[in-house]
Amino acid sequence: MYLVADISVEICAAKSCKLCTQYCPEANTILYSDEMGKDQGFKYGSAYVAVDRCKGCAQCVWVCDNMAKNNAIKMIMIDQLPKAALTDNITYGEKSTTAVLASPVVG
Amino acid sequence: MSLDYVKFSNGFEKFMPKEYRDMVEHGPFGKKVSVSQVGSFKEVLEEHPMCAGCAMTLFIRLAMVAFPNPEDTITVGTAGCGRLAISQAAIPFVYGNYGDQNGVASGLSRGLRLRFGDKPKDVVVMAGDGGTADIGFQQVLHSWFRKERFTTIMLDNEVYGNTGGQESGMTNRGAVLKMAPLGKKFEKMDMVQMAKVAGCAYVATVVPNNPRRVESVIKKAVLIAREVGSTYIQAYTSCNIEYAIPTDKVMEDAKTVENDRYQFTEYVSEEAKQYLTERYGYKEFLAKPAAAIPNKA
Repeated sequence: MYLVADISVEICAAKSCKLCTQYCPEANTILYSDEMGKDQGFKYGSAYVAVDRCKGCAQCVWVCDNMAKNNAIKMIMIDQLPKAALTDNITYGEKSTTAVLASPVVG
Repeated sequence: MSLDYVKFSNGFEKFMPKEYRDMVEHGPFGKKVSVSQVGSFKEVLEEHPMCAGCAMTLFIRLAMVAFPNPEDTITVGTAGCGRLAISQAAIPFVYGNYGDQNGVASGLSRGLRLRFGDKPKDVVVMAGDGGTADIGFQQVLHSWFRKERFTTIMLDNEVYGNTGGQESGMTNRGAVLKMAPLGKKFEKMDMVQMAKVAGCAYVATVVPNNPRRVESVIKKAVLIAREVGSTYIQAYTSCNIEYAIPTDKVMEDAKTVENDRYQFTEYVSEEAKQYLTERYGYKEFLAKPAAAIPNKA
């Protein structure tokens, strides 16, 4: 098992600073969806992690804790994920992203 | 320049490769994107085998987002860590022999100008400190003295990270590394000063802990290199393996180093300032209005 980043939608959608999307060294890994937060009644959208691509460096955790001071990202074991995002099913700018996240494969 | 030409002829969409269609439909080809939109479009860079938490990767990723016209950009690289990521992008990558990258880029940029005339094709060299300051030093300096019009970016990790940690010309004095156990005996090379002496039109040092600044620096360097002359960016991209930086502390280290010895500096020649202002509407180089003279009467 290995660690991946997991973003709390509740905290992220309240602040929506988008800093983690800019500081992740992996491309197309921390993505941002407007629908994810707004569909759940939050003010903004939320960032989420394409866990297939996450290498577990935890740079986003440092950025979220120390630069944004939101503490929304935690590193957790991949099999403990409450919601799994599958890279293959993520299409950019389409609602299907939310659908995949709403019906997680694991957990 | 209009961005309208990057579109498919009617009926031919399905014959284009999927990767290219993705770049046009969901990526940055044919439209302008910025670092603040990252995460909501498909990036040029794709999955790569660089180490987890590598600051060099972060810089390369930001640079690829910042290219003014990624669909018209060709990157040139050489041996080193950086090429592992640069080659995994949806834009052409040319691999020079070790140290050859600026010679290859000189020929490439001249050839593209002959072939495409005034339609800009950007050539961007991204190489490590070994490729730029040690092994490729001669060709780098010659391309600058000849005012070849392309951008040179040094990914300065201050070590030969790919081969086990030997000292490079850009390593700091006294640094003890795995393959340099006695510590480096000489000072770090001052490539910024050398770039200015060699006549580069734009010289900047930058650390990737400020993504918007990286974006602005890359954009300016690439635009100036289209017409004015050589441009040089030196980026501190720490090697978390050789310098034993925990991956979650990489940005903290970047911040410390930025405050300590890698402050943001920018040199823009007068000609380049005028070019950016007149051609691309940059306002930061306009003469500031003279302060009102206090009325003593």
